[in-house]
Amino acid sequence: MEAFNYRKAGSADEAVSTLASAADGKFLAGGMTLLPTMKQMLATPDTLVDLGGASELVGISRDGDNLVIGAMTTHATVAGSAEVHSAIPALAALASGIGDPMVRNRGTIGGSIANADPAADYPAAVVGLNATVNTNKRSIAADEFFVDVFETALADDELVVSVSFPIPAKAAYQKFPNPASRYAVVGVMVAQTGDGVRVAVTGAGPSVFRASSFEDALGGNFSASALDGLSVSADNLNEDIHASAAYRANLVGVMAKRAVAAC
Amino acid sequence: MDIVGERVIDAPRDRVWDALNDPEVLKACIMGCEEIEQDSETELRATVVAKFGPVKAKFKADISLEDLNPPESYRLVGQGQGGIAGFAKGGAAITLEEVEGGTKLSYNADMAIGGKLAQVGSRLIGSTTNKMINAFFDALDEHFSAGS
Repeated sequence: MEAFNYRKAGSADEAVSTLASAADGKFLAGGMTLLPTMKQMLATPDTLVDLGGASELVGISRDGDNLVIGAMTTHATVAGSAEVHSAIPALAALASGIGDPMVRNRGTIGGSIANADPAADYPAAVVGLNATVNTNKRSIAADEFFVDVFETALADDELVVSVSFPIPAKAAYQKFPNPASRYAVVGVMVAQTGDGVRVAVTGAGPSVFRASSFEDALGGNFSASALDGLSVSADNLNEDIHASAAYRANLVGVMAKRAVAAC
Repeated sequence: MDIVGERVIDAPRDRVWDALNDPEVLKACIMGCEEIEQDSETELRATVVAKFGPVKAKFKADISLEDLNPPESYRLVGQGQGGIAGFAKGGAAITLEEVEGGTKLSYNADMAIGGKLAQVGSRLIGSTTNKMINAFFDALDEHFSAGS
């Protein structure tokens, strides 16, 4: 690892101003992707701004019909929260299936969605539940947040502060995990929300996407059999040593059915 | 890894050919390209900062143009060194065809990546490559619509 400056911010505002004064700085949340990348010397930022001291970024609260999760809240905290279990049990279950205990105890929701790994679990929850991402500058709708592989609507100096999830009538997440990393080869979040049925798919494409034909079918008949005969196109889906694009396309249907059945 | 595709560009063929052979246009259209220098008619040197999610690596690439058949076809052959991140090498056959609505550019590329980047990034390289190709053509479209 190359030498770098370490700065610990006590608040979100301080983190943003500290990053602005660095030549090539990065925010450090849980560090579950950034630190291994730096150890491999595949990224060499000159400054890390640790968000671990900004207590305002941690916590889970109810705000009317929304569940608001601070950006620096760890996966383990979300998985173990009574508040999350009672409001959106699917979200607690999703968080409990991310990575391994070390990742769940260090990794954060804000870090995960800002990184926008195409195989991460949280993007499926953010899009499937129609969440709003609140930053230090603005609020971003889920459908606008994830842009492409590792690309979000966030500006370089923009910090995720919290994620606000509208509480759905029903929701469930099912994934086919890579057995080593627990990354989603394909993961599907199905939810009955205030504005209809939403089906969000992670792991399959360069970025999370909605399966609109599945949403239409489930809007008319919310049962796994409504998805019989439907499929997503394998065009532009991910292909790697773990699964071909056609295999992933098939998994989208299988995981969506399981999710509907689990609702 | 094979990368095959085509795209119709809204410009006459000779102008597309000129743009693809103009280092300034290439620099503006290649995502992360910091510098591009022409050593001779057929040799280019480029410095590109490639971003694969958290990975940020600077590649120095030597590119040569072969089998030049203006304004119809040519072949790009190149290799890049990214220091500790690894290396990339590959070639691309490019053909330009006059079609309704402009020029159809077809590419058939073969690329190999080695070193650490290949070890940790193999699952990401396909989608990142597609993103860079699309960004290149979007920028090229913009170049023509701004210039005309």
